[in-house]
Amino acid sequence: MGTSVQVTPLCGVYNENPLSYLVSVDGFNFLIDCGWNDLFDTSLLEPLSRVASTIDAVLLSHPDTLHLGALPYAMKQLGLSAPVYATEPVHRLGLLTMYDQFLSRKQVSDFDLFTLDDIDNAFQNVIRLTYSQNYHLPGKGEGIVIAPHVAGHMLGGSIWRITKDGEDVIYAVDYNHRKERHLNGTVLQSFVRPAVLITDAYHALYTNQTARQQRDKEFLDTISKHLEVGGNVLLPVDTAGRVLELLLILEQHWSQRGFSFPIYFLTYVSSSTIDYVKSFLEWMSDSISKSFETSRDNAFLLRHVTLLINKTDLDNAPPGPKVVLASMGSLEAGFARDIFVEWANDPRNLVLFTETGQFGTLARMLQSSPPPKFVKVTMSKRVPLAGEELIAYEEEQNRLKREEALRASLVKEEEIKASHGSDDNSSEPMVIDTKTTHDAVGSHGPAYKDILIDGFVPPSSSVAPMFPFFDNACEWDEFGEVINPDDYVIKDEDMDRGAMHTGGDVDGRLDEATASLMLDTRPSKVISNELIVTVSCSLVKMDYEGRSDGRSIKSMIAHVSPLKLVLVHAIAEATEHLKQHCLNNICPHVYAPQIEETVDVTSDLCAYKVQLSEKLMSNVIFKKLGDSEVAWVDSEVGKTESDMRSLQPMAGAASPHKPVLVGDLKIADFKQFLSSKGVQVEFAGGGALRCGEYVTLRKVGPTGQKGGASGPQQILIEGPLCEDYYKIRDYLYSQFYLL
Amino acid sequence: MASSSTSLKRREQPTTRDGDQLIVTPLGAGSEVGRSCVYMSFRGKNILFDCGIHPAYSGMAALPYFDEIDPSTIDVLLITHFHIDHAASLPYFLEKTTFNGRVFMTHATKAIYKLLLTDYVKVSKVSVEDMLFDEQDINKSMDKIEVIDFHQTVEVNGIKFWCYTAGHVLGAAMFMVDIAGVRILYTGDYSREEDRHLRAAELPQFSPDICIIESTSGVQLHQSRHIREKRFTDVIHSTVAQGGRVLIPAFALGRAQELLLILDEYWANHPDLENIPIYYASPLAKKCMAVYQTYILSMNDRIRNQFANSNPFVFKHISPLNSIDEFSDVGPCVVMATPGGLQSGLSRQLFDRWCSDKKNACIIPGYMVEGTLAKTIINEPKEVTLMNGLTAPLNMQVHYISFSAHADYAQTSTFLKELMPPNIILVHGEANEMMRLKQKLFTEFPDGNTRIMTPKNCESVEMYFNSEKLAKTIGRLAEKTPDVGDSVSGILVKKGFTYQIMAPDELHVFSQLSTATVTQRITIPFAGAFGVIKHRLEKIFESVESSTDEESGLPALKVHERVTVKQESEKHISLQWSSDPISDMVSDSTVALVLNISREVPKIVVEEEDAVKSEEENGKKVEKVIYALLVSLFGDVKLGENGKLVIRVDGNVAQLDKESGEVESEHSGLKERIRVAFERIRSAVKPIPLSAS
Repeated sequence: MGTSVQVTPLCGVYNENPLSYLVSVDGFNFLIDCGWNDLFDTSLLEPLSRVASTIDAVLLSHPDTLHLGALPYAMKQLGLSAPVYATEPVHRLGLLTMYDQFLSRKQVSDFDLFTLDDIDNAFQNVIRLTYSQNYHLPGKGEGIVIAPHVAGHMLGGSIWRITKDGEDVIYAVDYNHRKERHLNGTVLQSFVRPAVLITDAYHALYTNQTARQQRDKEFLDTISKHLEVGGNVLLPVDTAGRVLELLLILEQHWSQRGFSFPIYFLTYVSSSTIDYVKSFLEWMSDSISKSFETSRDNAFLLRHVTLLINKTDLDNAPPGPKVVLASMGSLEAGFARDIFVEWANDPRNLVLFTETGQFGTLARMLQSSPPPKFVKVTMSKRVPLAGEELIAYEEEQNRLKREEALRASLVKEEEIKASHGSDDNSSEPMVIDTKTTHDAVGSHGPAYKDILIDGFVPPSSSVAPMFPFFDNACEWDEFGEVINPDDYVIKDEDMDRGAMHTGGDVDGRLDEATASLMLDTRPSKVISNELIVTVSCSLVKMDYEGRSDGRSIKSMIAHVSPLKLVLVHAIAEATEHLKQHCLNNICPHVYAPQIEETVDVTSDLCAYKVQLSEKLMSNVIFKKLGDSEVAWVDSEVGKTESDMRSLQPMAGAASPHKPVLVGDLKIADFKQFLSSKGVQVEFAGGGALRCGEYVTLRKVGPTGQKGGASGPQQILIEGPLCEDYYKIRDYLYSQFYLL
Repeated sequence: MASSSTSLKRREQPTTRDGDQLIVTPLGAGSEVGRSCVYMSFRGKNILFDCGIHPAYSGMAALPYFDEIDPSTIDVLLITHFHIDHAASLPYFLEKTTFNGRVFMTHATKAIYKLLLTDYVKVSKVSVEDMLFDEQDINKSMDKIEVIDFHQTVEVNGIKFWCYTAGHVLGAAMFMVDIAGVRILYTGDYSREEDRHLRAAELPQFSPDICIIESTSGVQLHQSRHIREKRFTDVIHSTVAQGGRVLIPAFALGRAQELLLILDEYWANHPDLENIPIYYASPLAKKCMAVYQTYILSMNDRIRNQFANSNPFVFKHISPLNSIDEFSDVGPCVVMATPGGLQSGLSRQLFDRWCSDKKNACIIPGYMVEGTLAKTIINEPKEVTLMNGLTAPLNMQVHYISFSAHADYAQTSTFLKELMPPNIILVHGEANEMMRLKQKLFTEFPDGNTRIMTPKNCESVEMYFNSEKLAKTIGRLAEKTPDVGDSVSGILVKKGFTYQIMAPDELHVFSQLSTATVTQRITIPFAGAFGVIKHRLEKIFESVESSTDEESGLPALKVHERVTVKQESEKHISLQWSSDPISDMVSDSTVALVLNISREVPKIVVEEEDAVKSEEENGKKVEKVIYALLVSLFGDVKLGENGKLVIRVDGNVAQLDKESGEVESEHSGLKERIRVAFERIRSAVKPIPLSAS
């Protein structure tokens, strides 16, 4: 039997919720994607919390909240501790996305689901892979090979291939077959006949994707129209994903047209984002890396875009029409929300959505048609405490500190007692009581705590107090004391000093404003007020999601033609639609599991390995067909020395087999071939080919998808007895290999 | 070119059957340094590693021995790094030979390759006919070069390969190639020591079967980086303190960046040196800074952390110098200039100017190729010849402080011990150094399982890999795992180096191939009675079933369950069958029969006795034919006493039983040959069984 594979969705099936799926391959549990939405709804993570501790590896596919947002929370709160695998851009940009999310949230609420440290910790142990890197999993996953491949959609975006014993499980969501400015199209079509394909039906019902040029034109026309009448344009964007494509479009257009309207890119991490993106050229499209190789032009050296990391810079910007790209795309938090509220009531302004907002967010509400005239928005702001509140806060803090210290001292005393009671046998000669009571320290704070010794009460069971004594045991041999050579090695450290004091990894790159926000420990509170915002600005939505549309999804799946197919991440109608389509046209095993429903997609493929003996192979004559070679073998099973099955030539004469014609005849190609041979040939009605005067040739029977499960082709050649007939039959035979 | 390429091909020929022979031939860098180029061939796949130029020669003489191979047969060309001795003959090879395979290098290598070679074309002062390529060739070659990222696995014609970080210079890679399960590691130039900006070479995850490794440093041991840097800065400090000038001839890219990082840091830590200018006289290095800034991800963590604050490649104390005319030679200074070998150019101009003053110093920071001036002055001759042909005394101090990022003996031997490759091929080293290294490595691997080879240029190393061919039987054929003695029949599909066996009707399920059935229908004019046909057919074929066509109600016949004969109208009958050789034959004879009926009224006289007789006759005929065919194959065939045939070939005797096909012989090869031949003959002369499965 094949490799056992089970798929259990944890989030994101039959709806547009974030993605998170458990895929178990021969008992090794992969968590593929670990997404959250912009509302940070913990109820979404319940299924994950139940299995988090059993997960052996996490694979991330795209650097946005929907694909990796829950990682810090799951690592901290849900007991997820598996190694994480992602591409370098997904790691870096994912980290920045999470910073941006956190800082935006912290600004408007007492956000406590995770902290910046949790984000750092979660991303610290990400194992970075490059595209097409076959990574052999160690330990429990021995024998499993994982590899990310180009997915398009976002920088570093991956489709994952998990291979065990030659069987492929492919996870491909949110891929884009089209090449974009900064990204190559996906390579999904290069996988053929995997055992399992897990894919999304997100865009299955979405078909009217306009051509890129036309769409770009509309996009830029809409923007310039509003700028020219003096309006501002807001593009709510994600932190480091699709926004890169938009920046390039604008940058390119601005330099072509020589526009002077300023463009601002405003997120908490915008400058770090672009700095990193500049060094990710090898992950981008061929045209970008080519232009760098030949002229050293880095496409992300943005000349027309100003990077801002706080709102004051935008407020201080010279007045006049401008384009602002700000996060979050959902308008639930971040600068985009503030700017929207400010600009919404001016009819000259434009809010341009470039992707469908997440379900249940403000952006989604505004995208409904007809757009709402008014929206109720809760605006929150963090303000420093002042006056009575501040005093009350300080008192509260003091009280808390006191209580905590007291509790700590009590606990410690307990511990001491306990340890003293039991450590007679322990090697430690004495535990010096180093803690203090709260009264003794007073307001000096905890800094002095450890040096004061108070009320020294030796427990009755303990021995008399002594200074700690360590037996300095050294070993001797006939040459004297045994030394450890490492102790005498002069470390090369001094020369590294220059660099090391710069300290920190990614934190070093955080912008100052961010740092100030992190370090700002001034007591503050969040105040909220509800506003009714009149939406009189224009609202436009255009598709810059960078996902394949329904038609391409279908042809892509048909081309890949997996043995088993699992559909996820789409509203119920889309899932059903794609399921029916695939059942009818592509493969008989299509699954669309519910949340926490485990589907077993173990392939029912039987297989065993045999050795091909030299004797057998020397009698086999291969025929080349495309990039593979075929031959018929008749053989007898024997054993090799290492007790492996081996195929030997038949001792007796092989029993004759039914001859097989191998090959793929395309009528159009055959027509060309015939005419090149000087046969008069033309298409007759009904897909038939009239060759010469009398002979006709056509395909009969169910002509399904190419390579699909539709069975062998059936070709009918018909005609009266004549020379032409035999000639054409010979030509037809020449298109096939007879085995 | 053609004649010598056949010589190499002829060597391959006897082994194409099993294809187990692996050949490695250095076309350059075999027992020498420079023009790296190593050819490898296994199982009909040909790979070329690197494509360099010898820096000490010019024109055609500098090329590797490309005429040893047929460039059109090369599948893949892999370039490890951008140095001229590894990459500079690439434009020539791509544009001026019949090569049409694919070329791969890393992103950083490709970006620098263009700048470097354009510069090389400009500075190399050779006559036009000696020019191997021009700028246009370089630009054209850029379109053909494909990029590969570290660890990314690429497959071309069944050859799988990927690369590891090699240290040495930015973007340097070691290539691991996997052909049918045999792995070959080509290190290129590598260094296992992390320096200021580069990572150390990685240790591959898998042990290769063959390791083609550089041996530049031979058995030398490098000083620790710390001491080296101290010597370097001390020499410079004391020279400039005494009012001397320091010349550092260095190759524009690679080590130069490392030295600049050291100098910039040293100046920053020593404020007393602030007024002493440092120049780097290489416009090329300036241009490449953008590349260094972009591919920061290929460098080590240290530089990436520094990059977080400011770009370490923006130097505070170092200024560029474009030509000697801009240079005001007034006081102590430090100049780093190209080329590294002091062959010509700015470094030579400065050398000529400064060499006779003993206050000045020249620091040679890396490996020097044989035949260059830099190599000569290391031995501190009394006099040197200047560019203008005059002789001048050599008074300036010459220091050789190796910063070369080549693995030293300690690194090489640890690297090899970790990998434990059964075959080691040393390239890229001077013959003497290489021999010493070989001797010393022998002592490290005393068990005798390791072969160490040092082929010279164009000298082939041959190895045999008896890799088993494994096939996977899948689908219906594998429902039951067979026991010994069971037979397995199906379609064997070979893709790359993987084999699968499957049932024919599942071919389209498990591969991209599809099967087809061709149904044929021909109409023949026939005006006679249908019954006549039936009668005639029954006389000839064993099985003729008659039925009526369901649709038209017309009579139909099924001949041998294969061919359906139908009466379409008064004047026509039709034949329908599904194509395969036997059915085609049956239908042809049916057609012939029908046509014969229409032509004449035949007389068929069936004589039973004749049939019996003819069977006997047939038997005799068959024996005759078998005998004749065997004679034509083996020559000396006689009828033995016990009815067996005795066959003698080259003194070996075999006895063949005509009935059972059994062969007795002491010579197994002959036995097998006769057995196969007899089987084939028998299947040819015996009547075809019509009941095919």
